[in-house]
Amino acid sequence: MNMSGGYRQQPGGSGQTTRKDGKRVAGKQSFPPPGSGGSRPHMTPRDLDYIPESVGGKEEQPAGSHIHDRVRTGTTVGKEIPLVDSNAKVTGQAWYGDDVRLPNEIIGKILRSPHHYARIKSIDTSKVEALPGVLAVATGEDSPHRFGVLPVTKDEHAMAVEKVRHVGDLVACVAAIDEATAMQALNLFEIEWEILDPVFDPKKGLEDAEEPIHWRGKYHLSKTNVQKRVFQEFGDRSLVEKPLAESHGKWSMAGVHHGFTEPHAVVAHWGPNGRLQLYTPQQVPHYTHRALSTVLDVPMHQINVIRTFVGGGFGGKSDPFPHEMCAAILARKSGRPVRITFDREEVYWINRGRHPSHIEVKMTADDEARISGFDIDALIDGGGFASFGHVTSYYNGVLATAPYELGSFHYTGARVWTNKPASGAMRGHGAVNTRCAVEVGLDEMAESMQVDPIDLRLANLLPPHSRTISGFRITSNGMREALEKVREGSNWDEKFRQLPLGKGIGIGCGFFISGSGLPIHWDPNRFPHATVHMQVDMDGGVTVHTGAADIGQGSTTAVAQVVSEVLALPIEMIHVRSHESDTSPVDLGSYSSRVTFMNANAAIRAALEIREQLLNAAWEILGYHPDNLVLNDRRIYYKHDPAIGVSYLKALHKAQEDKGSLIASGAYRSPPMGGVHKGAAAGLAPAYSFSAYVAEVDVDVETGIIRCTDVWAAHDCGKALNPMAVKGQIIGSCHMGLGQVLSEKMVYGRTGHLQNANLLEYKIPSVHEMPNVEPIIIESCDPEGPFGAKEAGEGPLLPILPAVVNAVYDAVGIRLRNLPLTPDVVFKGIEKMLKEMKIDDPEDLPSPRLTHSPLQSTLVARAQEHKVRDKARQRTEDTSPYVNGVLFGFDPTIPLEDQVEGWRTATEPNPEQLAELGLAGRAWLKKEQREMGGGN
Amino acid sequence: MVGSEHIEMIPTPAKKVWSAEVNGTPVEVLVASNAVLLDVLRDKVGTLGVKRGCDLGTCGCCTVMIDGTPRLSCLCLAGQVQDSAITTVEGLADGAHLAPIQSCFAEYGGSQCGFCTPGFLISAQALLNENDSPTDKEIACAIEGNLCRCTGYQQIIDSIQGAAAIHRGEVEAAKPASDPHPDPHPEGPEEPNMPPGHAR
Ligand code: FES
Ligand code: FES
Repeated sequence: MNMSGGYRQQPGGSGQTTRKDGKRVAGKQSFPPPGSGGSRPHMTPRDLDYIPESVGGKEEQPAGSHIHDRVRTGTTVGKEIPLVDSNAKVTGQAWYGDDVRLPNEIIGKILRSPHHYARIKSIDTSKVEALPGVLAVATGEDSPHRFGVLPVTKDEHAMAVEKVRHVGDLVACVAAIDEATAMQALNLFEIEWEILDPVFDPKKGLEDAEEPIHWRGKYHLSKTNVQKRVFQEFGDRSLVEKPLAESHGKWSMAGVHHGFTEPHAVVAHWGPNGRLQLYTPQQVPHYTHRALSTVLDVPMHQINVIRTFVGGGFGGKSDPFPHEMCAAILARKSGRPVRITFDREEVYWINRGRHPSHIEVKMTADDEARISGFDIDALIDGGGFASFGHVTSYYNGVLATAPYELGSFHYTGARVWTNKPASGAMRGHGAVNTRCAVEVGLDEMAESMQVDPIDLRLANLLPPHSRTISGFRITSNGMREALEKVREGSNWDEKFRQLPLGKGIGIGCGFFISGSGLPIHWDPNRFPHATVHMQVDMDGGVTVHTGAADIGQGSTTAVAQVVSEVLALPIEMIHVRSHESDTSPVDLGSYSSRVTFMNANAAIRAALEIREQLLNAAWEILGYHPDNLVLNDRRIYYKHDPAIGVSYLKALHKAQEDKGSLIASGAYRSPPMGGVHKGAAAGLAPAYSFSAYVAEVDVDVETGIIRCTDVWAAHDCGKALNPMAVKGQIIGSCHMGLGQVLSEKMVYGRTGHLQNANLLEYKIPSVHEMPNVEPIIIESCDPEGPFGAKEAGEGPLLPILPAVVNAVYDAVGIRLRNLPLTPDVVFKGIEKMLKEMKIDDPEDLPSPRLTHSPLQSTLVARAQEHKVRDKARQRTEDTSPYVNGVLFGFDPTIPLEDQVEGWRTATEPNPEQLAELGLAGRAWLKKEQREMGGGN
Repeated sequence: MVGSEHIEMIPTPAKKVWSAEVNGTPVEVLVASNAVLLDVLRDKVGTLGVKRGCDLGTCGCCTVMIDGTPRLSCLCLAGQVQDSAITTVEGLADGAHLAPIQSCFAEYGGSQCGFCTPGFLISAQALLNENDSPTDKEIACAIEGNLCRCTGYQQIIDSIQGAAAIHRGEVEAAKPASDPHPDPHPEGPEEPNMPPGHAR
């Protein structure tokens, strides 16, 4: 059979390979084409609905055009497609941590501390070692090196060295032929303890202690347990004098846990060449890689970290973990693969959940209802280790500097060590609790000014392409549209302050980073944030190597989608390899909502390189310059006559003639941004996401039970690469946030013991507690995002908390500031109110009503004006500079310090301020050891 | 596990042959007489699709179908279900042809991290076997024992409704990619209205 021209071994000739008599013509052998052009026989026509109008398509672009528009092919971007790994998940073939079963494996178990705080005087392992079936035993002595996720705060060991810092802290570990033997071995350790005085209350942590939980030498703050203190002040503090409205709230928020369904598990195996293979469900495999190298004392190249499927992360699988080190140590000692799987209780001992927090927020508005001041004080309970806490301490403040324009901003924060499992990063890292406090404060101010809280917000928003008071660069900003959409969707104007007692509606907004501007481990000027490698071989399939860790959010799919879009190939031809550190370029991993923004950008760059090579090859074949060529569904053709074209495969093979498979590498690095003050890098991001939610609740005034019935959830994700995935993130965030505001709580009893380390008593909402969530996607088209996209994984969690708290006020007229709002908390609040108002029957409670003050119309008018301003700025029709402060009449072209006396950017308190600092701020009353002449 | 008081291990219980029909295949394995079904399925039978989220009956990840009824395998002794027919997530598909419930979970976003998915699939399939036109409320009741931390359940309910429509025959199920589908145009797709003589 003649397999059509183009693949003859030798040039010339007609392609006839057999003579009339059936014999083969020598030297004229033809080859079948190596590979295929995909599975569908016909090219699908260009899908104009998914090609932006700026390049001749029909996709509307209310927010303006984007630099990536010209490479849109209408293939996958913006379409609802299943996650590329979903078939593995629905067939049970997805392999999570505990599903890695290596031949000859043995089981590791960890001995955990029964004490809150104790010194280990001695450990006798002789009985353990003597137990038949035990193959390896390790203690702190085997792991003298410290590690930690942040290079500035390495304070963890694989197993306790010297002392244990919380119940459940790792003391020793053992590997045995089976689980029963390993469990039995745990009984045989003989340990002598010296019990130390534990600290549980973070307020106590601010005071000097007999023996601080960690010792930081000359940087240690007196003898306290303060791990990090922050002071930040921006703006003009004189603006807060003579406020028209004020809100002052003291919050206490319980710690919450990620509650992912997959418990931690790890498998370690030293291969025949002495290289470690470590299988672990990690969000941030690269940090584990680094930590392993330090702890095990072997070079990084001798370790291959294999990320398994991750059964949920939410920040809880982003630290390098001690049990990962333990498995590696046991495997090295025993010479056999070691598997360690946590039970649910152990998951809570390792924790890293959201910090239990005491937050105090004072805010003021001036007579034009401009927000003249935010004053935030956050004391957060870090538990036994630093984890991400250094960053959390900043985030609690700085992530409240937008989306509103502020006259001044004042933040004091402190994170203290206590003898509890360590807190860490959790979805909405550091921003969630203060955001809730701030949004409720706004509601309260709106109440006292008798204006609508949505209009108050609309009249105080920072516009697109502006700078926050702390110097963050805002690019795209869909906040206004989000507020308008939820107002409309929820029928707000007909419901707010008009519903009967027990029914309420509330608003909340959110603001979050889309990728952190500073890669934790290196200078962004030396290495990029993200790198993606790509290879296209003869068969036409595209293999993409990325280190992005898919934790269920669909990062693999996002990367596959953008490549498929640029190359106009069906998504099944894109194969993403992201599991192994051996084969994927170094990647920072899945945290701070960076993956879509950074990895997809890197992937686009690599794909563009491949695209160029394909177009050049097509140019050679067709004779038309690439500018006049169009890529569409496995074909490249002349713009004005689709019939003149060449198949993708043919162009590919042309391009491969001299070099074999096509290789490309793409990288992403964020632009230089931000101020120079101490801590300026915290919260810096190449883009920010915005969201606004309206929640409707039913409160049973007799019992205090709250039921959230409906949520309208608008989130600005720039551009939804895959709307189905974005909606999934929004609804999932609602679920998680609802848990925190209504039922979830890590309960530490009188003795400081965690009492609900299981999923029965740690109350995650079930399907019956879920409200109807109406996800609304706002597309503000970020100029630097991949095809305009920003994050959608964390930001959507923020607004649900304040929306519910505000709705509860609307329903029963009480402001509750103890999260979670469990029925007992609500009931107590109602009881107190009944007493105050001298009412007997809760059914007689008045429900809050609103009569607008004259200020309302001022706000509406201002919001209208700003709407016009914002639209022009969003579409870059207006490119004049805008900084926070313009609303207060300042000139954005002159540094504010030069215009206003008293405009300050400070990172340390003035001596005269010391007396008036809040709870956490009191950490500034203490001196560092080096200033006290001590420490080491 | 935490605490200094540990119970001495009870002497190893006697081993027994355990038999059952797992996903249509008879299996016989030697297990301790007090073995838990979840352990037997994961460690002995090798159906690793059955997930362990808590071991305490609180997450539903370990749900399997036993003689048509969904049950938590972590709360079930293997001995209790001797000789029964057990279906795990691996047994839902017909060869490479996914069951409607599986393809719909993929299509409607019912699975994000996927760890809870095997349990949900079994609970949902059990419901659909009885009732191919469930209301959202009925679905919620069928999956109330399953915990999902990623999806917020909404897309799971959509997925189950999607599968119900296939069960009712209103919608056709998709064909798997692994079905033979020889490439009709090995060099790539054709331009549909291409005039003769143009380069393909
Ligand atoms: S493992 Fe059985 S219910 Fe969680
Ligand atoms: S998909 Fe992750 S727990 Fe359900």
